[in-house]
Amino acid sequence: MKEQHKHTKAKKYGMVIDLDKCTGCGACMAACMSENNVPFKKDESDKLLSITWMRVYKLTNGKKFPEADICYLPRPCMHCEGEHGHAPCVSVCPACATDYSHETGIVSQIYTRCFGCRYCMAACPYHARYFNWWDPVWPDGMEKYLSPNVSPRMRGVVEKCSFCFHRYQLAMNKAYNEGRRELEEHEYQTACTQACPAGAIIFGDLNNPDHAVTQIAKPDPKHGGRPMNPHAFRLLERLGTNPKVYYLSSRDWVRRAGDNYIENESGQGNH
Amino acid sequence: MDSALIPEGVKRCSFGKFIFWLVVFGAVLLWGVVAMLLCWFKGLNQTNMNDAYGFALWIWADLGVIALGGGAFFTGLLRYVFAKDELKNIINFAVLIGFICYSSALLILAIDVGQPLRSWFIFWHANVHSMLTEVAFCLSCYFAVLTIEYIPLILENRQIDRVPFFHNLSHNMHGIMAIFAATGAFLSFFHQGSLGGTPAVLFGRPFAFREGVLIWPWTFFLFTWSAAASGVCFTMLITCITRKITRKRLVKQKVMMLLAKIAGWMLATYTIAKIIDTWYWAAVTAPSKGFTLMDFYSNNPLYGIWILVLEIVVCGVIPSIILITRKGRDSSFLFVSAVLLGALGACVNRWVMVLQVMAVPVLTFESWFMYFPSWQEIATTILPVAYGIILIMISYRYLPIFPQERELEG
Amino acid sequence: MKVGRRSFLSLIIGGAAGTALSPLPFKLMDDSSIWTQMWPWTPVPEDGEVSHVDSICTLCPGGCGITVRKVATMYGDRAIKIEGMKGYPVNDGGICVLGLSGLQLLYGPTRVKTPLKRTGARGEGKWKKVSWNEAIAEVVKKLGELRKKGKSHTVACISGADRGTVAQLLGRFLTVYGSPNFIRIPSIQDSYELTMYLMQGVQSSVGFDVENADFVLSFGSGLIEGWGSPVRMIKANSAWKERGKVVQIEPRLSNTAAKSDKWIPINPGTEVALVLGIAHVIIQKSLYSTNFVNNYSSDFEEFKQIVLNEFSPDDVAKITGVSASTIESLAKSFARASKPLAVCGRGHGETPGSLNEFMAVHALNALVGNINKKGGVWAVPDPDYIKWPDVKMDRVSADGMRKARIDGAGSKRYPDVRYLLDRLPDAINSGKDYPIEALFVAGANPVYTIPDSNAVKEAFNKVPFVVSFSSYMDETAANSDLILPNHVFLERYEDVPAPVGLQKPIIGLSKPVVKPQFNTKHLGDVILLIAKSFGGRIGDAFPWESYEACLKETLGNKWDKLINDGFWSDSNFRPAAWENAFSTPSGKFEFLNKGKAESIKIEGDKQSYPLILIPYDSMRLASGCIGDPPFVIKTVEDTVLKGKEIVVEVNPKTAKEFAEGGYAILSTPKGQAKVRIHHFDGIMPGIVAMPRGLGHTAYDEYLADKGINFNELIGPVDDPASGLNAAWGIRAKLTRA
Ligand SMILES: Nc1nc2c(c(=O)[nH]1)N[C@H]1C(S)=C(S)[C@@H](COP(=O)(O)OP(=O)(O)OC[C@H]3O[C@@H](n4cnc5c(=O)[nH]c(N)nc54)[C@H](O)[C@@H]3O)O[C@H]1N2
Ligand SMILES: Nc1nc2c(c(=O)[nH]1)N[C@H]1C(S)=C(S)[C@@H](COP(=O)(O)OP(=O)(O)OC[C@H]3O[C@@H](n4cnc5c(=O)[nH]c(N)nc54)[C@H](O)[C@@H]3O)O[C@H]1N2
Ligand code: SF4
Ligand code: SF4
Ligand code: SF4
Ligand code: SF4
Ligand code: SF4
Repeated sequence: MKEQHKHTKAKKYGMVIDLDKCTGCGACMAACMSENNVPFKKDESDKLLSITWMRVYKLTNGKKFPEADICYLPRPCMHCEGEHGHAPCVSVCPACATDYSHETGIVSQIYTRCFGCRYCMAACPYHARYFNWWDPVWPDGMEKYLSPNVSPRMRGVVEKCSFCFHRYQLAMNKAYNEGRRELEEHEYQTACTQACPAGAIIFGDLNNPDHAVTQIAKPDPKHGGRPMNPHAFRLLERLGTNPKVYYLSSRDWVRRAGDNYIENESGQGNH
Repeated sequence: MDSALIPEGVKRCSFGKFIFWLVVFGAVLLWGVVAMLLCWFKGLNQTNMNDAYGFALWIWADLGVIALGGGAFFTGLLRYVFAKDELKNIINFAVLIGFICYSSALLILAIDVGQPLRSWFIFWHANVHSMLTEVAFCLSCYFAVLTIEYIPLILENRQIDRVPFFHNLSHNMHGIMAIFAATGAFLSFFHQGSLGGTPAVLFGRPFAFREGVLIWPWTFFLFTWSAAASGVCFTMLITCITRKITRKRLVKQKVMMLLAKIAGWMLATYTIAKIIDTWYWAAVTAPSKGFTLMDFYSNNPLYGIWILVLEIVVCGVIPSIILITRKGRDSSFLFVSAVLLGALGACVNRWVMVLQVMAVPVLTFESWFMYFPSWQEIATTILPVAYGIILIMISYRYLPIFPQERELEG
Repeated sequence: MKVGRRSFLSLIIGGAAGTALSPLPFKLMDDSSIWTQMWPWTPVPEDGEVSHVDSICTLCPGGCGITVRKVATMYGDRAIKIEGMKGYPVNDGGICVLGLSGLQLLYGPTRVKTPLKRTGARGEGKWKKVSWNEAIAEVVKKLGELRKKGKSHTVACISGADRGTVAQLLGRFLTVYGSPNFIRIPSIQDSYELTMYLMQGVQSSVGFDVENADFVLSFGSGLIEGWGSPVRMIKANSAWKERGKVVQIEPRLSNTAAKSDKWIPINPGTEVALVLGIAHVIIQKSLYSTNFVNNYSSDFEEFKQIVLNEFSPDDVAKITGVSASTIESLAKSFARASKPLAVCGRGHGETPGSLNEFMAVHALNALVGNINKKGGVWAVPDPDYIKWPDVKMDRVSADGMRKARIDGAGSKRYPDVRYLLDRLPDAINSGKDYPIEALFVAGANPVYTIPDSNAVKEAFNKVPFVVSFSSYMDETAANSDLILPNHVFLERYEDVPAPVGLQKPIIGLSKPVVKPQFNTKHLGDVILLIAKSFGGRIGDAFPWESYEACLKETLGNKWDKLINDGFWSDSNFRPAAWENAFSTPSGKFEFLNKGKAESIKIEGDKQSYPLILIPYDSMRLASGCIGDPPFVIKTVEDTVLKGKEIVVEVNPKTAKEFAEGGYAILSTPKGQAKVRIHHFDGIMPGIVAMPRGLGHTAYDEYLADKGINFNELIGPVDDPASGLNAAWGIRAKLTRA
């Protein structure tokens, strides 16, 4: 399989999330949970103990009534590229249980390899990684809906958004069976992208100039993928994590909320 | 009752008293063991850690005991490599403390990971880029070295020593101890350094991230240095405590003063380096990521910026001054305060580098994360303390830990 | 044999070395890694051949098309994922958080797995499993007794819908049995239907051509929070981002307000005045559609005089808190937009609201001439595919049907309205008319959803026989005497006509995706069985052998298309042209609204209750007849629910004495509750906002006992014109806990 991949062009899958369109409805969260066999507990109101590969944050502009404003920000794993694939989490994992694929740009997570040291969680500034503090338990009968494409995780390991990697595998299998080496844009789409009623999530290959993600975000390869679209930004771009999830917003305060700035420092995400 | 086991020519408390204290600390130990078993069988939901605090009390305790255990490698280095011969009179105790610290560290790690039965993956599937891999390898190797250094001590027990095989073994091991000490020093240098690198390579965490030279961030060296300084302070501190409890001198004051002077200079140079590091980080590194120094400390309701003052001034500058001045060293009150603060300094530093890193929000729309350990975490953290006390009690009672004791008390 | 020290030692050392070199440690290590991946309690999902079934989601009135992924396994098919159906006219591939979680309802612990008969006290949760024959026999016996006593009219039925074959079968049964008391769950549809009837003279649903509107003026409607068909509205909202503007008018920065182009906070309950203020500017500046107004409307002059005299921007500004200049610019932008659209009905649209307000908003649409136009408000005729022969009534049923409805709908006081469920508890509790002897509930959870929970419970306790057809152990089922569980939507055939607010008539078809998982029965079949047990004219009214046969026959030539495409729609449908759109006495659009901007007075006096409590809705909280499944409740933020405690939003100015996250007692004239406070700058001072959809007592441990049901703190307020519930809030106070 590896042999075969050498003939195909390297992909860099990424996302653009349009925050002007995102309504905070939470469909992406549920789509992800049901696609990826994410477990649930009786009380999920402690968000620091709640496994949500996709988490929709609510941002506020900090102003008083009636100038107050809110914005929702869905946060999957950013599939950070760092420098040459050294994502913050990947380089620290002592057991190679998480890896950056140069073929797809996807940061993988191998549950059966992970031994739960949580160093990767300390490394990830986006809190995109979740630890299985409990055994996953489905009420009697409910395990019937579990997808066979994604193995349920055991207690004591870390999990996170995989960009629905199994969908890539299935799409590739299909393509190979049909004698193709390349996927059409629509053949590999993530569950959250597909579900979003607002069409706020766009997914595709950032290396492919024909894909919508590339056309919208306009990543600048000379500057580590920095978006050239003035409304686009990435979270914590200044840290050098080089994330592959781009956000769009027409609101200045939202773009500025994407990164930390010292008071009076100018800039809004990408400039 | 157990007099046959007690080294010749020294006096020990009654067996009953010994057993009484053994039971007291044994109870504490048991409490920790119960908590440990809960964590193993029920999982880490027994702790108050969460997805923001993936590293918490245990990792701090780990880094802390390893720093405090640093007295062993540094004293060994001085004794065997730099040939400070007087130090042979305290090296046994330093090794014992090191052994306790490192075995504790390994135990805590075994509780801390989510899948302890797979911890060997760290060796099997080792990732050379990971600081933890380096830590794991060096830590295990150095623990093996400490075990090898500790074994001859056990073999010197009066009864064991009677067995010719053990006697010879012990003798031969002493002979090659310099090699182990040097190896240990080398390994220790690396894993103390790697531990320093552990937070500093987290470039997603501006509070922890440090620049450096080649692949080593500055904290690599700072951790090694501070472990040497604080470890020695800790060894002296425990020696003082043991002296107080046993009401015996145990080690000649000259030896202690030599060690204190070295520790003082280590601590002083470390503190200077630490101040430079902090300044550079606050003035250059952090602002380049959009943070000011106060951003990191402002929202902590407990201590705020005072923890930085505590670490650098109270636990750095003050004990350095005491220990490098003769007057300071000679005043027993100042001396004990200084070694206490010196040891505390490393603990505070490790606390900051673990827990404060987790607490500071990086995403602008998150707020500070608060955490208080569960009783299971506290019990398992106290477990090594009880274990250490028990091991010191037993070793002190039955092994000739302090070679000068007979002479001093005779 | 004496073992020498030496040999003993060699043994130990040798043994250790031997073990280390043997495969044993490696085997143990390998086993440990395998074992830790394969804990028996971590399920391994069974694989199999994958297939997809298209169907319709009926978890809300949105009527989205869904595609369900299944795997075929040794033990039967497993449904593993619900996705939005691509190409479906309502949602085209999109889906909401609730629809995505449907499988948790199908396979979840809330299912009623077999007919149950109560054994303990009501609501105690003690049940006996009974067979379907026993259950149906019990219903027939009870109904038969009542009918014999000439009390057929004392049977009432609450239904979640009144369209589609199942609801129609229910209604048909009630009619031929002899009770006028078929009651649909209330919503803004009631007010919109009434508005259509009064102003346009048509009996039809209202449709909004939102996809084509380019300026949407929303009076508190949760456009992206569940109003109308939720997924469709969210899609439309995204389209507006590209070509259109939205102005949201409400006192709280809802998600809709935050996403809108302009949020205008308004004193709650004063919306009518603002509507008429806008009308004032439009009329005064002659910005209205002269063609429509001059040729197709009546009463305009009268309307104009009132609006011009009483609703100047300055006067309106005083009432509403919206500045006169804002009113003027709003009116201008609205009237000048090429396809303006004004909508109302707050939040999800569960409370019918003030008729006055609906008519005023509709008048605004009429002023700009967007009735039955592209991007406007359309009268959508009820689908007419159900053409069953009229029932033949016997004497008992004819007598029963002549009795007045228990809820007062159609009475002299409220002549035009069809159902008034919110008035039912009071009607039962006051005992003014006649007692209700038996109550049937289908597709609805009135014990939870009707305001004034205490009164509702009291009323339920007065009804001696309550039957629930619920698939889930909801609050109503838990408080019933007999449960005859229906299949869930993924196990049954059912026609789903006219998703709410859609501008074109379509029919969707729910199909069984998997075999019924439990001993449940299709409600349609249960009605047929009950009717057949009666025989006579009742039996004759239901000539079908099964529900499926009934459905096939009813849909006739549409069936094949429905099976193949999942839906049927009339592609030729165009709304009626103005010439023949209005069936009012004048034959024109009637600006009947006499401009009385009397706001609905809410319960409570200002002295004892200085604050106002309003509800708010969210896509992540299902507040209709279904409760949040585990995935959905998991998405609820910790500023809404914390542990088991509900969090209310208050402006920091109003909540000065309360810390963020702190406790308070929230009291209203109807009740009190312990809540936690969330300081929210997006809400007008003086107002407390509470999420709807929490405080369930039934369902499963993932949902039950979390937070407060808003209905415990509020009661209905009758709209003076329609009798529908128009309560938009209630006076309240916060005190220290
Ligand atoms: N019937 C049958 N069985 C077989 C074989 C066969 O030919 N036929 N072949 C055998 C052989 S040769 C092999 S190698 C095995 C392969 O079998 P497996 O080891 O099971 O490999 P996969 O099925 O490819 O993937 C395993 C799981 O990993 C998940 N996954 C994919 N990518 C990632 C990621 O980045 N991170 C994480 N954490 N998870 C990911 C997938 O979704 C899937 O749930 O099957 C063996 N079993
Ligand atoms: N698209 C896609 N490609 C993949 C993978 C994937 O998951 N998806 N998985 C990859 C992996 S992990 C692996 S291991 C490879 C496996 O790929 P292959 O090595 O091609 O394995 P199989 O597909 O199982 O085919 C093995 C062939 O051996 C034949 N065979 C069976 N028994 C015997 C025998 O006794 N003697 C002989 N001479 N032939 C026999 C079978 O009939 C079959 O044709 O595929 C890789 N390629
Ligand atoms: S599904 Fe789409 S609109 Fe809803 S929260 Fe997610 S990204 Fe936002
Ligand atoms: S977002 Fe976090 S988990 Fe994902 S690649 Fe980046 S650092 Fe790793
Ligand atoms: S928790 Fe798992 S994935 Fe994360 S660093 Fe440790 S072993 Fe690697
Ligand atoms: S890409 Fe897939 S795994 Fe990631 S958040 Fe979306 S649905 Fe979840
Ligand atoms: S909007 Fe309503 S009909 Fe559509 S998927 Fe959601 S619950 Fe189902």
